[in-house]
Amino acid sequence: MNKPVIALFPEASFGSALNCVGIAQQLQRQGSTPVFLCHPGFNGIFAEYGFKEYQLPKNTGAQHQTEETWQAFVSTHLEHFNQVPTAQLTTYVGPTWEAIVDTAIRVEAGLAQLLKRIRPDGIVLDNVIMFPAIANAGMPWIRVVSCAETEIPDANVPPYLSGMAANDPKRSAFEAAYLNTIRPMHQRYNTFRRAHGLPSLPVGQFLEPSPYLNLLLAPKAIRHERLAPLPGSSFVFLDGCIREEAQFEPPSLPVNEGPIVYLSFGSLGAIDTDLISRIIKVFATLPARFFVNVGGFLESYQQVPDNVYLGSWFPQPSIVAQADLFIHHGGNNSYCEALHFGVPSLIMPYCWDGHDNGLRAVQTGTGLNLKRDSWTAHELKETIVFLLSDTEMVSRMSTISGAMKRGNGTRDAAQAILQRVKL
Amino acid sequence: MQKPRSNTRQNHLKLARQITNILLERGFIKGDHLPESTLSEACGVSRTPIRSALKLLENNNIVKRRDEGGYFLHLPPENMASEGLSNLEETEDSLAVRILSDRAERRITDLQSVSALVRRYEVPRSSVLNALKILSGDGLVVQLPGRAWAFQPILDTPNALKDSIDFRMSLEPQAIIAPGFQMDSQKTRLLRQQLEEFSQRPNGALSAAAFLRLDCAFHSFIAESSGNRFAKGALLAHQRLRLSTQKNHSIPDFRLRQSLEEHLDILDSLERYQLQLAANQMLVHLRRSQIRKPQAVNRGILPMGRGAPA
Repeated sequence: MNKPVIALFPEASFGSALNCVGIAQQLQRQGSTPVFLCHPGFNGIFAEYGFKEYQLPKNTGAQHQTEETWQAFVSTHLEHFNQVPTAQLTTYVGPTWEAIVDTAIRVEAGLAQLLKRIRPDGIVLDNVIMFPAIANAGMPWIRVVSCAETEIPDANVPPYLSGMAANDPKRSAFEAAYLNTIRPMHQRYNTFRRAHGLPSLPVGQFLEPSPYLNLLLAPKAIRHERLAPLPGSSFVFLDGCIREEAQFEPPSLPVNEGPIVYLSFGSLGAIDTDLISRIIKVFATLPARFFVNVGGFLESYQQVPDNVYLGSWFPQPSIVAQADLFIHHGGNNSYCEALHFGVPSLIMPYCWDGHDNGLRAVQTGTGLNLKRDSWTAHELKETIVFLLSDTEMVSRMSTISGAMKRGNGTRDAAQAILQRVKL
Repeated sequence: MQKPRSNTRQNHLKLARQITNILLERGFIKGDHLPESTLSEACGVSRTPIRSALKLLENNNIVKRRDEGGYFLHLPPENMASEGLSNLEETEDSLAVRILSDRAERRITDLQSVSALVRRYEVPRSSVLNALKILSGDGLVVQLPGRAWAFQPILDTPNALKDSIDFRMSLEPQAIIAPGFQMDSQKTRLLRQQLEEFSQRPNGALSAAAFLRLDCAFHSFIAESSGNRFAKGALLAHQRLRLSTQKNHSIPDFRLRQSLEEHLDILDSLERYQLQLAANQMLVHLRRSQIRKPQAVNRGILPMGRGAPA
């Protein structure tokens, strides 16, 4: 009997890509053949974990376009990351949705061709937008929500990307502003959908729930009590989604004492080298060891303190497992890894669902939330010291971690996927 | 004139490594007696440095001295290749190593004065000068006119690693196909044994640091075997640079095993004297070893590749 071929299509982000690697590792273990559809620039990443890759066609002149686009992106958006979520709607969220719709339109033809060529038995889509080629491919497709749970709306769930509580009096104003911001892109997207035979989606929605299966990366400890519970027949919550990764061996530092603190703001956050430099100066004053993911910008740093180690890439599950505190941007994968390993989070969000997770960490006693740019050295230092010594939080995190480790999110995800594919 | 103390230490360390290679090669097992005379003959040195090297191995639990006389192998041979050597190398915490490590971790800048290093490490001026001399011997620092010392480019950033792989892709295949390529059969056997042992470790137990040492040993061996003296010199120097300054970047277990298999495939081709095939395999191996992660990604934008401006 042939093994079912499952095509995984994560969006071009490390969180989504590595989340899918975890699921693919389990799919392989459970007897299927996972393959990856990857955006230009991501080829090679999945092959390092042993998976076959199919790259979406790259447009002519894309490299040139990439460099110019990134120059423009950095000079335009770096300051926007310091804004509150409401202000970011027009400066960052709107332009980003515009770009996401562009991507969906750009890859449609190439994606349809690839799917015809591969003819998988099922497709796993980890993205925030639907691609008509997937819905039209004629095989079961599974939606993975690897962003915060707020992506699936409910009256008891805070509004998506707002960083506010569900019962915040400004909720309706935010929702109205959000819908108003994205309306033009949404209309353009609906036109594109209709042109490819898909019905329009209600305003605010760019990706419909899958009729087959929807996987939500929302561990029980931080899950919201929904007013209208999601149907268990097609929605499965994952209590973590940890990939098998290389082991990180912490190098010995010149000052090699104290708890381990890991900082990663993701590859996008690493662009803000000024902010990370400010943070490192505070680290130098603390009796702990700090491991800092500076992404591709190692060359921007000099005079690194003796209790700090900079790396361009860390196998995150391994270092988080060894850490006493994880400082991150509120990316859902990072937050869930911190929960899985029982490590308190200090979340310094800069955009998107990082705001939502920042608040959720405070609400659930799993961490603290600090605004990205407006802290003083004293405030940051005090916050870190507090989190490293809060025995109550450590004990709570240990209980959460124990429960999550008794389960296995990637195994559950793979089982659910294969059940739907074999229907 | 008496040799500087740290140079002597370096020599003992080299000799200790040579002894472990001989023990592996000759099939010693745990508990075997290690006659000084045999080791002295095999290494081509007198018994005095052999005793110092054995003492170093004893400090790292690789051998044990017994009252009834002499040293005995204490570690199973299968662990000696990586763990034993790994521990052994960790003991080499000389000032030169500390300075180099601090440079690689960007704690000190690439231009240094002796006074600044004396202040940082709180050691006598003579110790700093000695350490700089050791680093200078490996081409890692050069003395500028005046009092400053300048570090040479090292493998400390993703861009430097990319340059390193590009350099190796242009030269390593050439080193294989240049007339006169000749491998030492005993060393080939030992290297193959080490590669196979390492690849048999379970997932999660593949140490990145141990892999880097084995990888450098493999590529150094290819360089040593080259018939082109300049390719050989340049590549050996580069492998020394990798070993001393390349950060242990983590590699997923799958790629690490694949890389070990590629090493073994290259050795197979070389032993069959299919040099052109081995050169092609080397090129594929190095190409696969490039870092392919984009520098930055965000929704809606093509990822920022390596070398793109920030």
